[in-house]
Amino acid sequence: MTDLSLADFQPLEPGQEIHGISRPSQSYWQDAWARLKVNKRALVSLYLVIGLLLFTIAGPWVWTVDPAQQDLDQVSRPPGADRNALIVADYAPWQTEGLSFGEGLKVVGDPTTQAVKLKWDAIPGANGHRIYRNIFPIGPERSYGIPRAEFFDNRVVTFEDRLDLKALTYYYVLVPLGPRGELLDNYEVIEVDVHRVTTIVEAVDRGLIEESANLQIGDEINLDWHPFGTDYLGRDLLARLMAGARVSLFIGIGAPFLFVLFGVFYGSIAGFVGGRVDQVMMRFADFVVALPFLLFMILFKISFGIGPGESGVFPMLVALVVLMWPATSRLVRGQILQIREQGYIHASQLLGAPTRYLILRHMIPNTLGVVLVTITFAIPSAIFTEAFLSFIGMGVAPPTPSWGSMSNEGIKTMLTTPHELIFPALFISITVLAFNLLGDGLRDALDARMRNQE
Amino acid sequence: MNSAPANSKELLLEVKDLAVEFDTYGGTVQAVRGVNFSVEEGKTLAIVGESGCGKSVTVQSMMGLIPMPPGRITSGSARLKGHEILGRTIVNGKEIRGSEIGMIFQDPMTSLNPTMTIGDQIAEPLQVHRGYSYKKAFAEAIRLLEMSKIPEAAKRARQYPFEFSGGMLQRAMIAMAIACKPSILIADEPTTALDVTIQAQILDLLQDLQKETGMAIILITHDLGVVARMADEVAVMYAGKIVEHGMVDDVFYRSAHPYTLGLKDAMPNNDPSLQHELKPIEGSPPDLFSPPQGCGYTARCPYAMQICSKQQGENTYLTEHHFSRCWLHNSASPNKPDQLYFKEGA
Amino acid sequence: MTRSNMWIFILKRLVQGIFTVWFIATATFFAMHNVPGDPLLNDRATTEAIRANLQAKYGLDKPVTTQYVIYLGNLVRGDLGISFTQENREVNDIIRDHFPVSAILGILAVIFAAAGGVLWGALTAIYRNRWPDYVIMFLVILGISVPSFVVAAISQLLLVNVNDLFGTTVLPVAGWGTVLHMLVPAMVLGLGTMAYLTRLMRSSMLEIVSSDFVRTAKAKGVPPARIFAKHQLRNAILPVITVLGPSIAAITTGGFVVELVFAIPGLGRYFVQAVQQLDYTVIMGTTVFYGAFLVFMVIVVDVLYGFIDPRVRME
Repeated sequence: MTDLSLADFQPLEPGQEIHGISRPSQSYWQDAWARLKVNKRALVSLYLVIGLLLFTIAGPWVWTVDPAQQDLDQVSRPPGADRNALIVADYAPWQTEGLSFGEGLKVVGDPTTQAVKLKWDAIPGANGHRIYRNIFPIGPERSYGIPRAEFFDNRVVTFEDRLDLKALTYYYVLVPLGPRGELLDNYEVIEVDVHRVTTIVEAVDRGLIEESANLQIGDEINLDWHPFGTDYLGRDLLARLMAGARVSLFIGIGAPFLFVLFGVFYGSIAGFVGGRVDQVMMRFADFVVALPFLLFMILFKISFGIGPGESGVFPMLVALVVLMWPATSRLVRGQILQIREQGYIHASQLLGAPTRYLILRHMIPNTLGVVLVTITFAIPSAIFTEAFLSFIGMGVAPPTPSWGSMSNEGIKTMLTTPHELIFPALFISITVLAFNLLGDGLRDALDARMRNQE
Repeated sequence: MNSAPANSKELLLEVKDLAVEFDTYGGTVQAVRGVNFSVEEGKTLAIVGESGCGKSVTVQSMMGLIPMPPGRITSGSARLKGHEILGRTIVNGKEIRGSEIGMIFQDPMTSLNPTMTIGDQIAEPLQVHRGYSYKKAFAEAIRLLEMSKIPEAAKRARQYPFEFSGGMLQRAMIAMAIACKPSILIADEPTTALDVTIQAQILDLLQDLQKETGMAIILITHDLGVVARMADEVAVMYAGKIVEHGMVDDVFYRSAHPYTLGLKDAMPNNDPSLQHELKPIEGSPPDLFSPPQGCGYTARCPYAMQICSKQQGENTYLTEHHFSRCWLHNSASPNKPDQLYFKEGA
Repeated sequence: MTRSNMWIFILKRLVQGIFTVWFIATATFFAMHNVPGDPLLNDRATTEAIRANLQAKYGLDKPVTTQYVIYLGNLVRGDLGISFTQENREVNDIIRDHFPVSAILGILAVIFAAAGGVLWGALTAIYRNRWPDYVIMFLVILGISVPSFVVAAISQLLLVNVNDLFGTTVLPVAGWGTVLHMLVPAMVLGLGTMAYLTRLMRSSMLEIVSSDFVRTAKAKGVPPARIFAKHQLRNAILPVITVLGPSIAAITTGGFVVELVFAIPGLGRYFVQAVQQLDYTVIMGTTVFYGAFLVFMVIVVDVLYGFIDPRVRME
């Protein structure tokens, strides 16, 4: 035991600092923010959401490419694909004199996007030939591909393909024909790597180079950069994603805001007035809830006179609001009923507080938590609905971009150009995920405090 | 540290140096900071204190009811009939909870399963611990309900908790807790959620059952009236520590700690001769995130001294079983207030 | 006492249900009649014969209110009308042919979603903050954020690859007919709801796990397995059952995409076709039918809930 002196036993002055007696108290929102900050997932989601909003609003200012502009040289290119093009002379018809044969099916010269020239030796027993082109290698079960040309004279042994050539690897199949023009079995196949080329005139036309630039045939130039690739019409995917974001988020955030607002209004009145009015109001809300959601979304669209294949952003917004407000109103009403019974309302009334004060100062701030969480969860739901409807062609239709309609287009070429599907789907997923996690975090942060208040 | 003189009678339950803390988002809370007490057969120990002083955590940690990821027993031991039970629920091959020790809780409305009948819930410990068949257990459950003075016990046993009133539910809980004839019944604020008249009935029931079965009772409460009525021994807790402990008469009539005085002064009393102006204790309990170096009661104690904020006091024994943890009892302290009881010749 | 309560409860729900279906029918009717331009006067009604039939049957030359009464009268008799675009094919027949397919798909999906949701949700609550929790919750997060059409397309792709790998058709990629055809579409359809139910079950379980009566059960020394079954599960499952009704609704309507992608001849796919062809009677009839079906399912679920939670019966 340490030595104690008489001084130790002198009375303690009131107000003297005593170690560890109390903590600074925090307001409801400060406490909720503290809880939210600790929740790492929610914090990351918050940053994601802010990032997405920036992407949507400020994005087009930074990346100024027109989402509707088509870069026909780079159709369906994945991101990071090479975008070099060789400068070549303008197209001149192929002179086939002087070609040597005897080497079988071969490419003549450099295969480019301008033309692919083939020569072959007549297949024994062939009365004619047919040429197919495929982007997949030929296998036992595979079809030959797109028919490109048919010759009934087996003396024709050259072919120049100029149709819709892209910078890919093609497989050309040479199939012999029988006496009645039927396909015979012994085909030949050749693998051809096509190089992208453009002429000086075309390049200037598309704004890729200045007129005055000093370019020779054989130089390489860079085509437009598309960081996320292009879609099947050559449109820049990043620009389209930004434009789509505007549509998807406009509906995804606008609709929830509106229907939650209406729900709060409706629910507060029902909860506050109570009695018969409350019963009738809630019964009506129940009816609206019973309407089959997706069916009525579609019905609304038709009702506004938008046909299939047309875009209805505004009707979709209206439909969402009309169909989804009841859930919020029920929630808010429940909150109001709960709050009304709380002690502090009675206490306030006893102190003479007017009704308006009660509503503004006590009821609304305490419902804000629930309302905030509801909005945050309603947003991904709305985004999903829009994507879903656009996907089945009942929402936003091409050419208006939205992440849902972009996914719809992307699925059609899922096997060959997956990036057209992956990016919009990814954006949908990340957005939905971020809002869901944020909603979780908000609910945990706000709810814990509410539970402690009991 | 002064220790209690050895007692020849073996104690039913002996708790030494129990300390429990919790990890929360704001830091680590030290809820129980070194608690010692014991319980004798057939006797009632009351643990008194305000909300948040750690009395519930103390008994719940003994029963293994504190979830151990956020919670942690940092030290101490609890011996039931000589066997260590802290951190274990099965001792000597036997389950302690529900069988050796029974427990009832504060709010009977939420403490019972809403989707099971009362009879099923009372029958459950019998099926689990005594291996009774369902029929036998249910019949015994009805008998237990009668023992708890619930009318129409057979009909009631088939009903659900929401069909009972608060007082009846608490009786049912008591029936459930004593089903396996435990040697100790822990009652955690059993009457706090009930009306005053019902309170008296429940307490009477507990006393009657104690006489019948000979079980010991640990009674947790913040109500001194309940203590006066039921307890043989009293432990007063504040900020995670026991500040005064003794037989009920000692603690009431010869209070030796300022906090006990404060509790008594704040207690309303029906007896006109004892009526006084209600004096609430000013201030609030300390923040247990960073517990005070000195005595936890310093900020609210009218007799606080310099030493009180710097160091914790030690237990001073005034009689064999009555001690107080307060610097006022130190031989060097000049101040000996009249309201408190001091050792002869201090 | 509980017996008669149950019947009154069911009766009340049924009456409410009828009113609800009436409301749905009315809303549908007015939504369709809001379409600008008379749907008959364009060439949707393909032949003169159909047009004459429809004119007579629905009184399309009469004022709206009369049409509404006729419409309601038809509905009460169970007559949903004749298709606009398919001569003389009754909407009832269309529904009769295609709805069972959707129903089976939906029921399988619901079973899958409910069983999975309860199981995974309970597991994450029991193994909270340990690896099963993390794994399951990660999958759940994927489940709620990846759009269903993407899942459907990708799963089809996977099936193709798996079939290629094994050289035979392990599972059919599209179409309908055998049990094998139903498995993958039902799983895909139920996935989103299963993820949602898992989360719900998880939070419900977590709440129950820390509830007072579970604490009492522990204080009674009840072994963990029994606590899980009789105390926790029974109470935690209640919110899940509550949302089961609306979940069935979500699954049935979500079936559209799955039916489209997997070429399943269900009512959803038919509905989409009807919308694309603006076949109004089919659209209206299907909507009212679906609405009635969902109302009925919700009543069934409510009654089920009443069996499990005795408090509800006493309303």
